[in-house]
Amino acid sequence: MISPSILVLLLIATVPLLAQVAMAFYRLDLIGFRPNGFVGLDNFRAMKDDDRFWQSLSIMGIYTVTSVVLQLVIGLALALALFRPLRGQAVLRVALLLPMILAPVVVGLSWRTLVLTPNYGILDAFTQAVGLGSHPWLTHPDWALASVIAIHTWQWTPFAFLVFTASLHAMNPEPFEAAMLDGANSWQRFRDVTLPMLRATIAIVVILRTMIALRAFDAIYSATGGGPGTATEILNLYAYRISFTSLRLGYGASLGTILLIITALTSWLVFRFRQSR
Amino acid sequence: MSTRARRHLSAGDIATYILLVLAVFIWSIPVLWVLITSFKPRNVIFTNPPTLFFLPTLEHYVTALRTNGIVESIWHSLIISVVSTAMAMVIAIPAAYSFARLRFRGRGALTFYTLLMQMAPPMGLLIPFYYALSELKLLDSYTGLISIYLTITVPFSVWLLMTYFMEIPVELEEAAAVDGASRFTAFLRIVLPLARGGIAVTTIFAFINAWNDFLYAVVLSGPTTQPATVAIFSFLAAEESRWGPFTATGVLIMGPVVCIALLAQRHIVHGLSMGGIKG
Repeated sequence: MISPSILVLLLIATVPLLAQVAMAFYRLDLIGFRPNGFVGLDNFRAMKDDDRFWQSLSIMGIYTVTSVVLQLVIGLALALALFRPLRGQAVLRVALLLPMILAPVVVGLSWRTLVLTPNYGILDAFTQAVGLGSHPWLTHPDWALASVIAIHTWQWTPFAFLVFTASLHAMNPEPFEAAMLDGANSWQRFRDVTLPMLRATIAIVVILRTMIALRAFDAIYSATGGGPGTATEILNLYAYRISFTSLRLGYGASLGTILLIITALTSWLVFRFRQSR
Repeated sequence: MSTRARRHLSAGDIATYILLVLAVFIWSIPVLWVLITSFKPRNVIFTNPPTLFFLPTLEHYVTALRTNGIVESIWHSLIISVVSTAMAMVIAIPAAYSFARLRFRGRGALTFYTLLMQMAPPMGLLIPFYYALSELKLLDSYTGLISIYLTITVPFSVWLLMTYFMEIPVELEEAAAVDGASRFTAFLRIVLPLARGGIAVTTIFAFINAWNDFLYAVVLSGPTTQPATVAIFSFLAAEESRWGPFTATGVLIMGPVVCIALLAQRHIVHGLSMGGIKG
């Protein structure tokens, strides 16, 4: 009963991975006239001169770093500010839980329509009401990238908040009391006591959030489709378009392999971190 | 702290409460707005500024459910999610137990693979899945989709269940072994009942992940298996945006997940911190 299940797991976990890497060495165009077959490293060589690939990589970098930093800072600040006995904690927990468990496609589509549509979206109506004006949230390249980062941050900051709140609750209060007696002000207490004690939690939040940001697809696809033009086209979306719009499966697989390498390195960090605890 | 709480609210307390209310607003309004809009009469949806005052109507639900393919797509979502979750648990429970208890060669490497598969961007695996299913003539089939969904649900379930199994003291099984119980009996009679809560949470997460999936579905499904997360695009694809039926369908997609979440919210926080939900 036990070994067959491990065998199934092994099949599930390795066959697609190997197939993916193998396909990266083939040309597999479903349309077009070039002969398909083994091409060695050609796909990877082609990447070198593919501006759209480098652009998607840098957009993914901006998207990932910005959204992870924002989640970390907002999540930690909120957890610290709300870390005291308060009524209404239960309501807050439910409100924070929802964005994380809802289908990212529905989240992306709702933001595209109900939240960010000029004049009719609630955020646009809000910025107009407070005198900040209406903006082309998803139709101007700069605004669009900021908007998809904001959607991701909105959806996942609750995660950082919940994890930080949990680890603040688990903390030993003695160092705080000692620092208080020594006359440390609140900034000093935060910098010299809280922050060092939260270091492990911060590390795990950063790593996990980075991995989820690297997986991002559904919400961007449904909010902007990678556009306008290629302004929000992260590597995931570029690989998707190459594979299923241009139908170049081999080249798509080589882009996917780059994604897997980036993820594998991050996974390895998580794994090492878990082992060392 | 307790003596202070009984006195009047200080300025700091008031500021904290304002922050709390603000946070609740920021995170719940976009979700609530979908619900509110789904009950708005058609002529009230597009007002500037958006309004909260209107006579609620069910017209959009009627339109959505009468739209070609929507009822079917919800049905497809249900079949795919329920079957792939059930199959995932059958595979993942014994696998997770053996990771938690047995020492065998390659256990570390295998655990790492499990994590990698759980975290791998779906886009990095989709191409071989697509190619394999098209060669096997399994595109747009339940067999194909459910097998592929197992690659999402199984690794994650193993990873989460493993932590629950490891929390159960091994002494209980050793005591059972002394009393003459086989390893399998001990697993069935002692470990499984104790891990009930963990198994329930894992089942919930496996279901939510399958139910919410879009990327695999949009590429691998077709007219006869298309789930609701793909079908909902039909309301926004054309030039005119049909926000009414779109929000009604959105509520139908979010409904089951929200109900589950409200029932099991405390457990869900733990599952989330184990990486249970994918963006």
